[in-house]
Amino acid sequence: MESLLQQLARFSEVLAVSRTPHVSTWDPATVRRALQWARYLRHVHRRFGRHARIRTALERRLQSQWRQDSGSGPAPDPGLTNFQALGRCDLVLALRLLQNRALREAVWHALLQQVFPGPGVPGADEETLQGRLAHLARRRAAVHVLRLHGYQESPVVQEDALLKTQAEGPGGLLSGLWERGPQDNFLKVLAAALLLPPPSPRPQEEETGPGTPNTPGEGHHELLRWLLGKADILAAFCRRLPAGVVAAVAGRHPELSRVYLGLLADWGRHLHYDLQRGVWVGAESQAVPWEELYGRFQSLCQAPPPLKDEVRTALESWKAQDGDFEVPGLSIWTDLLLALGTGT
Amino acid sequence: MAQDSVGLSSDYQFWMQKVSTWDQASTVETQQDTCLHLPRFQEFLRQMYEALKEMDSNTVIERFPTIGQLLAKTCRNPFILAYDESQKILIWCLCCLINKEPQNSGDSKLNSWTRGLLCHVLSAFRFDIREVGLFTQGLGYAPADYYPGLLKNMVLSLVSELRENHLNGFNTQRRMTPERVRALSRVCVPLITLPDFEPLVEALLTCHGCEPQEVLWPEFFDAVSEAFLLKKISLPTSAVVCLWLRHLPSLEKAMLHLFEKLISSERNFLRIERFVRDSSLPEAACHPAIFRIVDETFRYALLETDGAPEILATIQVFTRCFLEALEKENKQLKFALRTYFPYASPSLVTALLQHPKDIPQGLWHQSLQHISEMLREIVEDQTHGSYGGPSDCWFAFIHFGGWADVAAEQLLRSEADPPEAVLWLLAFSYSPRDGSQQRAQTMEEVKAVLGRLLKLLRSPGFSARDVQAAAGQSREEAPRPLECGPLIRRLLLNFLLWAPGAHAIAQEVITLMAPTREITHEITGFLDQTLYRWDHLCTTAPASRKLASELLTELRG
Repeated sequence: MESLLQQLARFSEVLAVSRTPHVSTWDPATVRRALQWARYLRHVHRRFGRHARIRTALERRLQSQWRQDSGSGPAPDPGLTNFQALGRCDLVLALRLLQNRALREAVWHALLQQVFPGPGVPGADEETLQGRLAHLARRRAAVHVLRLHGYQESPVVQEDALLKTQAEGPGGLLSGLWERGPQDNFLKVLAAALLLPPPSPRPQEEETGPGTPNTPGEGHHELLRWLLGKADILAAFCRRLPAGVVAAVAGRHPELSRVYLGLLADWGRHLHYDLQRGVWVGAESQAVPWEELYGRFQSLCQAPPPLKDEVRTALESWKAQDGDFEVPGLSIWTDLLLALGTGT
Repeated sequence: MAQDSVGLSSDYQFWMQKVSTWDQASTVETQQDTCLHLPRFQEFLRQMYEALKEMDSNTVIERFPTIGQLLAKTCRNPFILAYDESQKILIWCLCCLINKEPQNSGDSKLNSWTRGLLCHVLSAFRFDIREVGLFTQGLGYAPADYYPGLLKNMVLSLVSELRENHLNGFNTQRRMTPERVRALSRVCVPLITLPDFEPLVEALLTCHGCEPQEVLWPEFFDAVSEAFLLKKISLPTSAVVCLWLRHLPSLEKAMLHLFEKLISSERNFLRIERFVRDSSLPEAACHPAIFRIVDETFRYALLETDGAPEILATIQVFTRCFLEALEKENKQLKFALRTYFPYASPSLVTALLQHPKDIPQGLWHQSLQHISEMLREIVEDQTHGSYGGPSDCWFAFIHFGGWADVAAEQLLRSEADPPEAVLWLLAFSYSPRDGSQQRAQTMEEVKAVLGRLLKLLRSPGFSARDVQAAAGQSREEAPRPLECGPLIRRLLLNFLLWAPGAHAIAQEVITLMAPTREITHEITGFLDQTLYRWDHLCTTAPASRKLASELLTELRG
């Protein structure tokens, strides 16, 4: 595993160099090795595509690397950004080298021969590098043909193909921002966006950048929908932001409050009562401590109705499910309710 | 070899001129002309590559001084680059221009120029929106990822516009005007075999507005039909039905394609079934208009070939597959049988539709009687009633070949006197056009042969010559008239398969029966069909089955 990660790191360097004038020092053997490497990584992509653990590990390494790179320079190098990119790394490398004028002529000829050996090479078009490059060229021509002679840009932003494609990105516009970090800031901005005042109808069109929604109202829906679809970001949102902020957002968006309550219930169930010390503790270090859980429920109970009542009802029902004890130490929900008091 | 190069030179001139005229194919005329010539131009490119790869760079320039121009203009035409493998072959041609050992600055300049053109082909047609470029770069979105995604979204967008068109009907707020749909179908022609385009091709075929005349470009239909027959594109049945309904030549081509495949391979029921199922014709034929055209084509083929057994076999297989598909259809609107078989009475069709495997074997003779009586009534009715005459009801009958086979088998397997209805049915199935006197004669002959064969069965042992004598053939006598030939042969073969004492002498009898290759073909066809039928009826007759397989292998080998 470790060697794989190392190779990944080194290949990323090679990929970054392939766009620079540094390739003038390369000879045909270097080019051949680089392409072989890329082929190997593509094989890795195929082999471990379904292997969740390895895939995640690779993806994490790639993203942390990219975050590092993008922090340093002005224009980040869009090399290998996620696991999916491994499937196309040989295409990217070949295209970069072919277009790099710094590559010496003889080396470029050798590259050409390797990339385009001609017919008679076994393997379907979807497999060979030359087949896939030709396929990409075909698709570019197709896009051009459609754009000039058939396709019309859509006035509805979410449906416009060009904008939609950018928004989808490698995991999406927002996911891209999340990956690049800093994440805490991203979460705060997200919360702020979700707490923006409700939209008033605007007659004139505002200047919008690509990918941003037309009005905040529309944006809310999209934003919330996106967040609700990303379990890990949602969990981070609910966990890392202060209790008051999350409660405010939950108060505004009932769908979020439902999920938040679900998460809280889950966190609560992971705590058990330590008889000796008389406190609720978690088994793992990442478990949400009692104090935090209490704090979050407190914020929720201070929220305006209907959220306040929903939370109360939920707590009561969980307490009832656990056996409806009035004595502390048996059900965490009993203890929470006792701690929260009757409230108003 | 010299002739090839002369041909190539003149082709070169022709295509050079064409490519110059087309330029970037930005007008309707140039687009149309380009799309019409795409396959031939690709073939020319291939030939050029074959010629170029044998030469070195200097020879290439010597031979084709303007080749740079030709290739450059080709690169500017997005329709050519969008078609099939043209972009790949173009790249190979460009690779041939590269001078591996440049001697002077001229060579280097040429190399540099070729290099530029190659890069252009590979990364042409950028979206020249600077913000978009930077934006995607910022998100780590390489063109290799970007363009497939963009294409998919554009196709999706167009598909939803077309479907909106289709559903809204008379809504005047459509964005898809008929002109735009037509233009779209035109620009799609080079792209039909690109898998990303399948949803769009499907949408263009199935979604139509409410214009009375055809909106799509005719060459679009031709291209789709060609791609579909060559299996370069896969379409759902609903799209294929639309294609064939909107463009009759496509359906005709599909049937021709099927016939070609059938002719070129040996008559083998399993193979026929595979070809028929492959063709999507049975599913599409659930639509009565398509069924009628297919049926008429079969009838015509039968007439032209004078009742060739291959066509008969295909009709039977097709009908069976069609009925299966019809049963699976769960549309609310189910068409009456009359719509599919307007030339036969509904009661006849209903009786014929019953598959022998759905009726207990003991009751088969009843069904045979019933069918025979109905057919006889129609045939002998001078007034011809409201339905077609003898040829029509015979044509209906042969769709469901199972019953004729069952009739022959039943005659041989029962010891009782052959019922007249079954004799009539057999005689009719082999010679529908006989007059009543001729048919009566045939029936008498068959009865006589049957009688002799059954007597053989009851005797302790018999030889091949005994069987031959029972058939009425003896070595001294002149051969029988042809009309009885196939029918008597069928009876003999059935006898060989079912009579317990006949297995030993079966091979010998067949050798006596089959002096010509034609008759051998007929016998192998019969054996193949019988085995196929037994499989579907789940007939358990291990001894007979084994014999039939052995005989078949022997005859084929």
